[in-house]
Amino acid sequence: MSPARVRILFCGVGALGSTAATLCRNLPATLAFVDFDRVEAKNLASQAYTRQAVGRNKAEALRAQLRTFYGIDSQAYPVRLSETNIAELAAGADLLVDCLDNIAGRTVILEYAGRAALPSVHAGLAADGTFGLVRWGERFVPDAEDEPGQATCEGGEHLPFIGLVAGRLASIIAGFVRDGTRTDALVTPAGG
Amino acid sequence: MGILNITYAGRSADLAQPLDDDIADADVRRIAEELVRAGEVAGLVVSDLPPNAFRSFVVDRLADPTGTVRIYLRPKVPFGAGLARRG
Repeated sequence: MSPARVRILFCGVGALGSTAATLCRNLPATLAFVDFDRVEAKNLASQAYTRQAVGRNKAEALRAQLRTFYGIDSQAYPVRLSETNIAELAAGADLLVDCLDNIAGRTVILEYAGRAALPSVHAGLAADGTFGLVRWGERFVPDAEDEPGQATCEGGEHLPFIGLVAGRLASIIAGFVRDGTRTDALVTPAGG
Repeated sequence: MGILNITYAGRSADLAQPLDDDIADADVRRIAEELVRAGEVAGLVVSDLPPNAFRSFVVDRLADPTGTVRIYLRPKVPFGAGLARRG
């Protein structure tokens, strides 16, 4: 990639997505966020939202935070990403960042990126907070949940590790924006 | 031949000896369990490894830039928005 301004679409701005996007705020890039979900009070323990965001759509709340705290303009799409709208949402994007929490959504991103010849990078966390993965689309296969609709944790127990994985993701995105490199990462709390 | 990397309980290590790169996923899990339990994976000593510890783990096979096959045995990573509730 040239260092000219690129457009990055973050798909899912929960724990990983909101934190990674915040860490990407200084890149020569236009950031865009898509998420249908709303910020709940319990999300404050593990996601990059403040109390003022509670009740707001996550994509819109993140856009407001970047504007208010850092003077950064971004774009927000308060909708659920799907097969029917991804082409419209991803129009003009140079990179898709997958931080979703379900295999169906991840598959939509992966398949669209393949069809559109668009780079995609995917990040995920293990259920027990002991492992994180960042992998580019050409090498990524989405993992299923152990059971459909597996509950997610709203506690802050794993916040430092979420930050570690999100930081690694943001660093990898920065490398791509800088010179097009596509680095994968396995992330453990021990730094392995 | 392939280099097996095992990630378990927040730690990650390579197996010193290469494996056949066409080894079945089930065999990767079985071998990993035996070697980790026996303390034969440097940097990955787990004294109380439960039976079938790697049953739900994923086996990835990727070629590194030199063409060497890397076999990764790792936990699933389905979550980007949060983490599964324990128990």
